Amino acid sequence: MSVLLEVRDLHKSFGGVAAVAGATFDVAEGSITALIGPNGAGKTTAFNLVTGFLAPDRGTVTFADRRIERWRGDAVARAGLVRAFQTARVLTRMSVIDNMLLAGKDQPGEVLGAAWFVPRRVARREAELRRQARELLDLVRLSPLADAMAGTLSGGQRKLLELGRALMVEPRMILLDEPMAGVAPVLAEQLVEHILRLRAERGLTLLIIEHDMDMIMSVSDRVIVMDEGRVIAEGSPNEVQQSERVIEAYLGRLSPDGLGT
Amino acid sequence: MGLLNPAFWTFVAVIAGIYAIMALGLYVQFSLAGLPNFGHVAFMAVASYTMAILIVRYGVPLPLAGAAGIGASIILALIMGVPALRLRADYLAIATVAGGEIIRYLALNLPDLTGGPIGSIGLLGPGDIATYNQEWQAFLDMLGRLAAPIFGRMPSRDLVMALLIWGLAIVLIWLGWLLERSPWGRVLEAIREDETAAVAVGKNIVAFKMQALILGAILAGMAGLLLAWEIGVFSPDDYQPTLTFYAYLILILGGMNRIWAIPVGSILFSLMYTGTRFLNFYPLSLFDSGSRAFLRLFLVGLLLVLFMAFKPEGLLGDRRRLLLEK
Amino acid sequence: MLQQLAQLVVNGLITGTILALTGVGATLVFGIQRIANFAHGEYLTFGAYVGLFLNVDAGQSLPVATVGAILATGLLALALHFAVLRPLRNRGLVAMSLVTVGLGLMLRDLLFMIAGPRIRQLRIDQTAVFDLGLVRISPGQLAAIIMTVVVAPAVAFFLAKTTIGKSMRAVADNRDLASVAGIDVERIGAYVWFLAGALAGIGGIMFAVVQGTFDPNLGYQVLFLVFTTVVLGGIGSAYGALVAGFILGLAMELSTWSGFAGGLEPRFKPVLAFVALIGLLLYRPQGLFGKARIV
Repeated sequence: MSVLLEVRDLHKSFGGVAAVAGATFDVAEGSITALIGPNGAGKTTAFNLVTGFLAPDRGTVTFADRRIERWRGDAVARAGLVRAFQTARVLTRMSVIDNMLLAGKDQPGEVLGAAWFVPRRVARREAELRRQARELLDLVRLSPLADAMAGTLSGGQRKLLELGRALMVEPRMILLDEPMAGVAPVLAEQLVEHILRLRAERGLTLLIIEHDMDMIMSVSDRVIVMDEGRVIAEGSPNEVQQSERVIEAYLGRLSPDGLGT
Repeated sequence: MGLLNPAFWTFVAVIAGIYAIMALGLYVQFSLAGLPNFGHVAFMAVASYTMAILIVRYGVPLPLAGAAGIGASIILALIMGVPALRLRADYLAIATVAGGEIIRYLALNLPDLTGGPIGSIGLLGPGDIATYNQEWQAFLDMLGRLAAPIFGRMPSRDLVMALLIWGLAIVLIWLGWLLERSPWGRVLEAIREDETAAVAVGKNIVAFKMQALILGAILAGMAGLLLAWEIGVFSPDDYQPTLTFYAYLILILGGMNRIWAIPVGSILFSLMYTGTRFLNFYPLSLFDSGSRAFLRLFLVGLLLVLFMAFKPEGLLGDRRRLLLEK
Repeated sequence: MLQQLAQLVVNGLITGTILALTGVGATLVFGIQRIANFAHGEYLTFGAYVGLFLNVDAGQSLPVATVGAILATGLLALALHFAVLRPLRNRGLVAMSLVTVGLGLMLRDLLFMIAGPRIRQLRIDQTAVFDLGLVRISPGQLAAIIMTVVVAPAVAFFLAKTTIGKSMRAVADNRDLASVAGIDVERIGAYVWFLAGALAGIGGIMFAVVQGTFDPNLGYQVLFLVFTTVVLGGIGSAYGALVAGFILGLAMELSTWSGFAGGLEPRFKPVLAFVALIGLLLYRPQGLFGKARIV
């Protein structure tokens, strides 16, 4: 399997405190990789750095053979590396389907004035995107809520919507930040199902920050462990679970979410 | 002029139409893109001065001078883009008023360039009275002659102007409405609520905001030019920050998120504004016409406060989609 | 040239002191209430007119009129806070800014309607001049100096030593921490409005005597100077505003010194303040002494 995402020696400090201090890891295409570590290990910061929401102090990020560490967030998303957020950022004042349509790729209607000069082309693409959106809403089983305001959705439903929205961008890789957090068990199961299917049916690559060890063990091919801003272990779920270094990192931090919660 | 004098109401209609276009420009920047521009008046000032200077001093034909005026507004929008994209809402409000005031102060204090406090009349230096709208008036007369058969007689310049401006305003609002409903408008709606989400789905928010800024500037520039052509003279005093807040009040009156409410807001505003002269009953009759100006401004302030307090969605707006809580 | 420099320094210090005092109130209010009060200039105007009423119409002496102005403006600020600003607090930054703009328009034009647009002055003999050799001071400037000498140490003492003053600074610095430490943030917020109003009141009187004449546009003309002082000093930092007021006052006056390549023409002084304000907001919004918050 080829490497899709390559992170080398990433550094980021905030006012003297190093959030990420030399993180290095690879993510292979088509894999489901988990990124775990105690709270404050720098996982979300690493996500922000990789996806262009933060600029790194040092280090490189290579995605699909292109160096993207200096790219802005929207450019990274357009390149096929899409992220979701810890708390799903849906547009609450727009309907579910509009949330999906927003994310559509290559919309001629987003050009200023297109609505005036080429309305038919705009309408055609809208119809295409609408079909695509409905398909994806079916996939994440939110179709009945298509016309509801996204603000009325529960936390778990919002995560599903965010996932569907991410898929509208036609990504090669999706980064999920604690997808299980605050989600009812029924929806959590669906999420796991979706993640596996996405890899199987669409060849999607996934990098997931999670604390839910059960989920990680059942879903991931590889696990990357971060602590204090750097990667301290990498390997299969079993290898990592038995690594002394990892156990030390968790126990040494007295974090409530230890192994096997 | 009496209450029933049609010439007066035609004039009110002209002003209402121009203000509608000005408010539309603000609508694009504020209601669509969420940029609280408190210095909107600066676009109007810059367009008018550029146009007048080119006509009066360099003999540039009116259409070209007008286009140059709009160009100046665009340049100002580009400059404004720097703070607009970096500052949060209330800081941007302060910075834009400050920017607008810089423009006004420069206009006031560079008499060689702008005619100073006397305004456009002084563009040719003391002793000469500069005018710039002869071509415009000739244009209106030509339109009037063309339209005479319809009216049975030659319509007044103001009537032609009113029809022209409202025709233009309706077309512009319609174009704005199309834009609002298009995917472009959808991206801006997303940006208004949550920029990070818009970025996460690959939208270049800097580009979208700049486009809204420039579009709004063009509209304000047009309004500035039309106002200058209608009145025939202007001075730095005509471009005080208060004018920007007239535009806000117009948006608030009609409904800050309903583009078709803009004509309603501007007509109501113009009626209120010009109608104060007709309030010849006690206790308002105590105010002489000079004080009426202060009464008008007082009412503007009062309406701003009352509407923001009790009816922020305006008379026709949709409370649900109101996005002021930033 | 040296004499011009000395005179400018004196003028700058006097302007600076007015900005400093007004700025202290404004910065505390901006920092605690998180609001850009576009009507703040009108508080100064109100103070000047109350002073005018007491001094000219009611025949009171200037000190009495000043005290009256301080109290009246403090109460005005408090009243507007309770009646308008607090109930609308959760409407958002832009809505609140528009509301304060509206209040400012109302106040200013009410004064225009009631007191008229003609220029007024307080009962100070503006024709006298105090010649101190290198510099000259007008009676108005002298009055302002006296007021400063009386008020500034009082304010400084109040902020540094009294419980309320210290609480104000704590809330302005870190609201949540202050609240956790047991400070009644709501009550302090109200006190701060009174203080801001009071300081605006005396600021208005001081501007009135220093300028000599004034009309209802007085406050509006200095609104941005106050904003610049607040941002320069760091929003919420009382000592910062104190320092920033003097810096701004001096900078504006000294910029016209012929020693600086001919100097800025006096009529462009406000432009200097505007440019400084925009520059600060863009590149150093925390000013000199404020905390660098993520804006």
